[in-house]
Amino acid sequence: MIMKSINITKSHLFYPHRIKWASYHRIMANRTVAICLVLLAAMVFLALIAPWIAPYDPNDIDLKASLMSPTTEHWLGTDHLGRDILSRLLYGATTSFSIAISVVIFALTMGIILGGAAGYFSGIPDDIISRVIDLFLSFPSMIFALAIVGALGSSVLNLILALSLVHWASYARLMRGQVLSIKSNDYVSSARVMGASDCRILVKHILPNALSPVIVLATLDMGHVILSAAALSFLGLGIPPSIPEWGSMLNAGKEFMRTAPYLTLFPGMAITMTVVLFSLLGDGFREILDPESEVNGLVAS
Amino acid sequence: MSLLEVKDLDVGFETKMGTVKAVNNVSFQIDKGETFGLIGESGSGKSVIGMSLLRLLPRNAIVKGKALFDGSDLLAANENEMQKFRGERIAFIPQNPTASLNPLMKNGLQLSEVFEQKGHTRRDSWNQALEVFGRLLIGQPATSASKYPHQLSGGMRQRLIAGISMSLEPQMVIADEPTKGLDSLTRRSTIEFFRQLEGEHDRSMLLITHDLDLAYEICDRLAVLYAGEIVEMGPAQKLMDDPEHPYTRGLLKSLPKNGLVPLEGSSPSLLGLPKGCFFSERCEIHKQDCMNRHPQLNQNGGWMTRCLLT
Amino acid sequence: MLRYLSKRLAYMVATVLAVCALTFFLMNIIPGGTAELILKHTVLELEEIPTDEQIAEISSQYNLHDPLYVQFGRWLANALHGDLGDSYIQKKPVSYLLLLRLPATIMLAFTAMSIAILIGIPLGILCAVRENRFTDYLLRIVTLIGVSMPGFWLALLLILFFSVTLKLFPVAGYGELKYLVLPAVALSAHSLALTLRMVRTGMLEVMGQPYIAFAVSKGLSARYVILRHALKNALLPTITVLGMSLGHMLGGAVVIESIFSWPGVGSLLVDAISGRDIPLVLGCVLTIVGVFVTINLLVDLVYTYLDPRIRYG
Repeated sequence: MIMKSINITKSHLFYPHRIKWASYHRIMANRTVAICLVLLAAMVFLALIAPWIAPYDPNDIDLKASLMSPTTEHWLGTDHLGRDILSRLLYGATTSFSIAISVVIFALTMGIILGGAAGYFSGIPDDIISRVIDLFLSFPSMIFALAIVGALGSSVLNLILALSLVHWASYARLMRGQVLSIKSNDYVSSARVMGASDCRILVKHILPNALSPVIVLATLDMGHVILSAAALSFLGLGIPPSIPEWGSMLNAGKEFMRTAPYLTLFPGMAITMTVVLFSLLGDGFREILDPESEVNGLVAS
Repeated sequence: MSLLEVKDLDVGFETKMGTVKAVNNVSFQIDKGETFGLIGESGSGKSVIGMSLLRLLPRNAIVKGKALFDGSDLLAANENEMQKFRGERIAFIPQNPTASLNPLMKNGLQLSEVFEQKGHTRRDSWNQALEVFGRLLIGQPATSASKYPHQLSGGMRQRLIAGISMSLEPQMVIADEPTKGLDSLTRRSTIEFFRQLEGEHDRSMLLITHDLDLAYEICDRLAVLYAGEIVEMGPAQKLMDDPEHPYTRGLLKSLPKNGLVPLEGSSPSLLGLPKGCFFSERCEIHKQDCMNRHPQLNQNGGWMTRCLLT
Repeated sequence: MLRYLSKRLAYMVATVLAVCALTFFLMNIIPGGTAELILKHTVLELEEIPTDEQIAEISSQYNLHDPLYVQFGRWLANALHGDLGDSYIQKKPVSYLLLLRLPATIMLAFTAMSIAILIGIPLGILCAVRENRFTDYLLRIVTLIGVSMPGFWLALLLILFFSVTLKLFPVAGYGELKYLVLPAVALSAHSLALTLRMVRTGMLEVMGQPYIAFAVSKGLSARYVILRHALKNALLPTITVLGMSLGHMLGGAVVIESIFSWPGVGSLLVDAISGRDIPLVLGCVLTIVGVFVTINLLVDLVYTYLDPRIRYG
């Protein structure tokens, strides 16, 4: 019954006036990107000015006010220690964004350098680096991050370190692939024939083109890192308990689900919304910058 | 008695940039046993016509007009009815045999499934497929049938595609660019193959091609398409020996054997077609009137030309 | 073919080894820390600080002064005999603990993956066939949310809704089917979303291929074309991605098992890490990574078998 009304052929016929840059998908992607950027910018802004707009200190313990539902005094209620949820959410945003950005920058830098070097220089360095990349890519990221954080202890730095180590390999592999394919392009050979040095070739010719999928990956990765960090904090292994973080808020809240379900609702929604925005943004970037991309938004690194 | 009668076929594709008019009010007839050619440049709409007859166009295609096959209108049929036409009564030989074969399916199966769908048993269908394979000259039937498309050569794939299309002995075959991209040797053998097909069984063929030599050799009548419109239609050899329409003349002059004289300019955008003659911009004999008035097809015996000046 | 297999096998082993080595190195990174740990778990009272003598004694007993690679080599040699040492905390052999809990994790992961595949594939096909219509949009939004929300949050929500409010399923426990439902559903979410999206994309791409149009032109029914021609081609890339997503799932299993008190290797690992129980951590990591790598190898083999272009290249 489903099948009757469908037309399943999509036709390989490309009627002659398919102008890529103005296609329907890119227009929609532009709109999505614009909306997501605005919303994310708003979130980042809120996170940045959290210290000024948060109504309470997030670590202010007030046992008399514990486990209150949303009221006019505490817009989103309080947790079991009487701490204001709204304030904790705001500071949590700061935490999440700072961690995510640090990890992504770290991982991206490491990945670009190593992957770029592997692709550009080929030969033995390439072999070694490729093996290392494959190794890092082939284990379950969560386990790895757990092991590192578990071994080194809970601190923001360790968390960033752990997550960077987990995520850099995807950038490296991507970068290496990009460099390899661009390296063999004609315009690079002609630059070399005209005497340009290795460095100049790298920076002027290879980098700009190679970077498009990397940008897409970085955007999507922001979301993944936030999820990983939240998961680790949820297990009590990421952030020290004194720093408000969405994952640890969920961990605290899970004991009180019967009496105060909003404790689990709000932080979870915050995480989900942020990750959704980054995913949409990443997909939008992909449509605009790199429609033929092989970067798959949903594959977790 | 015409087997296929196409009346005022009009195909547009809806895109966010507007409606692309690929086919503009095309009408022609094909008789039983006749080979009819549609020739023109890439983008002239000829492949679209072929696909529209069997309703193979994507969802954003708007198809208007009638296509009467043995009395029934193909364009008004529903999916179930179309399924009965396809394969059994009208077959389609697509461009690009390599891309038209499922790389993950055995060759023999891609043929035998046609029989299976029509109700034969699996063993029966396979045997019938083997028989067809024997006639296609692609090596030992049993071996080739158990292999996969990528294990065959280009010419073999072409014959396989043709063999699959014709396996149910349709009354009419639509062949879309059968010689596209083939080297001259393979092209020769393909032309022979098609000439053979054409001779068999009183079958009608709609040949869509830009290979003018092919058209010359096997077509009885043909139509020349430009920007989705028929600009000239008539008996194949006579038309190509001495064309009337300036476009057809230009087309033939551009052949290597006629001097390789190029046709200046390019075809108009299908998003915004001019109101006058579509070809007037590039026409060497165009007058002011041609830009303003859209010419109709002038009939002259079995020959039609769309030009204000001939 | 065989060469390829042995190469992959060797690589598999190397990976597992490397991971274990890395973990071992990490866990032992704080010098002297191991001795203190052992003491903490065995002899010492709470808050008691170990004396230097105690540390020295333990160090020589466990050979903690040897260079790390030697210690690791010893662990490895033992591991090959099936001896993974004893857990500091639980005082029982690690291998025993692992074997006890491995089936639970496998059952959970297997169920979750099955849910993902059995629901994801048909829905993916549905979305492709109804591209850009209401069903498609709806499911795409749902999967976007599904993949963006933390697995543990979904677990909590499921508990909130089904256990607390509706009282349909129990929160924690093991042994009967009803205990499996919520954890498996929570765990399947990511992979289900991924499967749906991959199948949808794969199908759309395949349906735009000329061989689909040709198949239709042969007079084959739409249903037949979708199931016999399009699906297999679309599923091929999906299989590879699913293999990789298993790694993500195993990671997620760690958290899910903790929430539902599911007695699997994942929750064991979390406890082990919290308690700095090094032999147990190593054992769990070895197991999980081993399972993951094995399954990926199998997936690779299946892929190679299914794609005739590779098989008969």
